[in-house]
Amino acid sequence: MEEATQAFVFFWLAGLFVVFGTMIGFFSKVHWQRRSGMVLLVLGLLSLMATPWTLSFSPSSSFGHLLGSLVGPAVLLGVGFYLITFSGNVPVGRLSKGDRTTGVVMVMFGVLWLEAMHWWILTPMYPGEVNRYWLIFWPTMLLGVLAISTGAFAVIGLVGDGREREQRLMLLVACFSSLLLLLGAMLDGPNVAHEEFASEVLLAAADIFGAMVGAAFAILLFAIVLAIYEAQQPAPKRLDPPTATQLEQASQIIAHNLGGVTEDE
Amino acid sequence: MNEPSPNRSLARLCLMVLFPLLSILAIVLWLSDGSTEGTFIRFTNSLLTSFTLFSFMLLLTLFVYGDARKRPIAPLVGMLMSVLLGLGLTLFFLAQGELLMEDNGSVRAQALSNTIRFGTTVIGLSLAVVVVGGTLFASLMNGPRQTIHFEEE
Repeated sequence: MEEATQAFVFFWLAGLFVVFGTMIGFFSKVHWQRRSGMVLLVLGLLSLMATPWTLSFSPSSSFGHLLGSLVGPAVLLGVGFYLITFSGNVPVGRLSKGDRTTGVVMVMFGVLWLEAMHWWILTPMYPGEVNRYWLIFWPTMLLGVLAISTGAFAVIGLVGDGREREQRLMLLVACFSSLLLLLGAMLDGPNVAHEEFASEVLLAAADIFGAMVGAAFAILLFAIVLAIYEAQQPAPKRLDPPTATQLEQASQIIAHNLGGVTEDE
Repeated sequence: MNEPSPNRSLARLCLMVLFPLLSILAIVLWLSDGSTEGTFIRFTNSLLTSFTLFSFMLLLTLFVYGDARKRPIAPLVGMLMSVLLGLGLTLFFLAQGELLMEDNGSVRAQALSNTIRFGTTVIGLSLAVVVVGGTLFASLMNGPRQTIHFEEE
């Protein structure tokens, strides 16, 4: 197979599988379609993660390598938070205290694993140097955590009642991510120098703001397209007013149901 | 008691999200000796890629809308035009010499690199949502039970 065809099949087609699989798997109302969507999603992800072997000649395989490197911490965080949440005050299917402890340990390991990928020897290296997509991912995630946690802090303050504990927790998360950003920009890691990290933080911020503005433009355009189409629709047909006979019939039915008497009686 | 207006709440929310983020970015910028090289190109590339991909995803959702409105073709055509516009703008700006090109040798390579980088940004933000959302829900579900007391009629 030619290199371009290989790249199309194992990377771009797999990426389309992930996008379509996610949309069908999460948003379809039909059971078999949801299941097929999930199968597509898993197949696409596996193909993308296998690109360091199937497309070793292509620079795009760095993305597959990053995905593979993130599976461990992502699963630990996802399952860990699930176990903690559903061992709390849930009315049905509550998990045990042991599950909660397991969840806390999994979340701690997940966070430590991610930290070790910047501050220790676990940095994703591909091919022979720091994976360039890791340098985009890590600052983006830290900036995302900072923005989302401060946003959650404000939302809880606006709509929550007696939720000071959650507000303090969000503030703590925001401070933690800020600290990591500042430490990364001041101190060298074993594989990433502080100048490089600071530069990547600014580029990641540009990426995030660009993505937000682009998405906002697309949504605005979508709304305008729908509004124009809906405004062009003809108004629904109005019914003629009821005739005297229809009114008489209606009054008889109402009187009968209310147990009263009609004028005739 | 005076209820805050929705506009004021929205402004406060935006300020709470942007102020810490911009403060940290300002400190990082100061630490990196004020170098913002390449940020504008990244911003523009990201904007165009995000616009095109979001328009494409919204175009797909129009099939559901079309089903509910007895298959109208007009919005589908409108959104398809916007996807093509985004794609055309991206290719046009990339083709203008060094205007939006980074370390890639060709327009196609740059467009593909933009798409992969957008995917990386989406993954980073998704994991951020998992961390913050997970922490918040874990705290909400494990806090003391809150009972709503209704006034007796």
